[in-house]
Amino acid sequence: LFLISDAGHQGEITSVSTACHQIEVFSRVLRTSISSLLEGDEEGLEKNLPEFTKMVCHGEHTFLYSQLLMHILAAEQKGGANVKRIYQEVHKAALARGLDVTPITLSLSGASAYPRASQALASMLSRQALNPADITILYKMYNSNDAPPVEIIRSPQFIELFLDALYKPGAKINPEHRTKYVFLLAYASCVVETKKKGGRKAISKDELKATCNAIEKTHALCSENKGSSELVADVGTLFQCLKFPIAARGVLKWVEYVVAEPSYFKLNTDHTPLHLVLLDEISSNHLLLHTRILDLLINLFESTYEDLDVLVQLELRKTVLDRMVHLLSRGCVLQVVTYIKECVRKQETDISLIRHFVTEVLDMIAPPYTTEFVQLFMPLIENEDITGSLRSEDDNDPVSEFIGHCKGNDIVVT
Amino acid sequence: MASRGDGDVALWLHNKLGSTDDLWSGGSVCSQLTREKLLAIQDCFHTLHSHVKVKFMLSFLHLHKRNVEEWQTELEEILSAGREDPDQWVAMVADMLQPFPVNGAINLAIHTQHAIFQHILQELKKIVKKCSDTSMMPLECSCLSRSAMVSTSGHQPMAIKHFALKRKPKSAALRAEILQKSNEAACSLKRN
Repeated sequence: LFLISDAGHQGEITSVSTACHQIEVFSRVLRTSISSLLEGDEEGLEKNLPEFTKMVCHGEHTFLYSQLLMHILAAEQKGGANVKRIYQEVHKAALARGLDVTPITLSLSGASAYPRASQALASMLSRQALNPADITILYKMYNSNDAPPVEIIRSPQFIELFLDALYKPGAKINPEHRTKYVFLLAYASCVVETKKKGGRKAISKDELKATCNAIEKTHALCSENKGSSELVADVGTLFQCLKFPIAARGVLKWVEYVVAEPSYFKLNTDHTPLHLVLLDEISSNHLLLHTRILDLLINLFESTYEDLDVLVQLELRKTVLDRMVHLLSRGCVLQVVTYIKECVRKQETDISLIRHFVTEVLDMIAPPYTTEFVQLFMPLIENEDITGSLRSEDDNDPVSEFIGHCKGNDIVVT
Repeated sequence: MASRGDGDVALWLHNKLGSTDDLWSGGSVCSQLTREKLLAIQDCFHTLHSHVKVKFMLSFLHLHKRNVEEWQTELEEILSAGREDPDQWVAMVADMLQPFPVNGAINLAIHTQHAIFQHILQELKKIVKKCSDTSMMPLECSCLSRSAMVSTSGHQPMAIKHFALKRKPKSAALRAEILQKSNEAACSLKRN
């Protein structure tokens, strides 16, 4: 094995426990795996992460070793953020496996230089729940003139706990402590620290007050348990608040829970229920929430609605597809078209729905097209079952025009 | 030479941490540790199996902060013995945990005696730089304001323009309609 690894064939070593046994072999396999993850993109990360996590999580020592290595690499100014994403994903996957990784992650984060903050965080993160006593400790520290680095409370796991506490339907926060929760979440979301010579930092809190306001308002609206018709008057306020990423992320979490209620679409008979309109607004404002929104839409599109009439179900799916078209218009192009293509391949989706999607997209788009987009979209366009009825004999229709443009401009589909 | 007490504690550790099937169980000994046990472990440390040594040292991470402070000297002694161990994993784990008894941190400046770590780190630093165009944003970025995101990740993501828009999607008209309804509803609420 050592010879295989030494000869540069780390990819061939598939047995995790064998690779982990010797630190040299493990290090080489780790190097190759991190390097492949860095050379890929989000898609590659999703595909290769399970195997990578399995190897890193083989033992507590391999986990500590790998995370330490990646923490050091994440400090690199150029490209370090990519490594940070990888170790965060590994941490998340380890938690999902029920492994107690919080002490390692906290020790690596630099939180130990602030023992009181570190203890408060450790107690909440290991229990996976916030509590007013520890929140009060952190609130006092971050509200002082000598606040610890924001990085300590900016962990995805910690932010998720706040979002659950503030936006999950039915979650209750003692009103006496609510402002502390809101303050800490806003602080994590918007405070900017700049490193200066000698290690001193300048702290900019310019957006803190407005971010607190947006969280306060959206939390109040989401926890009032109002129906869609009562919420209509608040749409203007909601749209304003959704410009703040953290408020948008909270409202998205709330929408995920609300629309997952089995009776939601039975009770909300508007053509486009209000909560889905909120998704459009979030898509328009926040590129980084596109994948999460698409996941929710796919869930809704694939759910069965046995209580609804077949035609109503079809209309509902068209409404969901319209949200996907909106998402596509805001830049989430390849993921959306890939999903629709997959629906066609599986042959489980009513073809009229695919036709609806194609029609809406053609109605909206114009050249210049990228080759990547044409490669994905052309098979849908050339599929007779989908677009046959959309074509006219004189080729004066959007389908023929799209094909004509791509052929005329030598955009070749392989 | 190990005393009788040392033999007992070695057996106890072996029973607790001897399994090679589960390499995550280090924390399970924390509640039963005492200063006396730690002193006995110092004496018999060299007799333990490598994986028991590794798991035992990693159990320090799960100790209550109060205990870490109380037993700082004993923990440091054990880590010091670990750093001299012929097994590379044992020495590495001891080195990674070196500052832990004093300040609760992990050693971010791994000793140069671990040539393989330094080698891999240097190679990966080059790859990280080379792949800096890959844009995998840290998970918290979706929650951060624009300026906080740039300070965290060094840049903000941009969508690739795959086509031009000749017309807005239907959702645009829907948005305008809902906003109008919202204004009307808000006005009527004020009037009432």
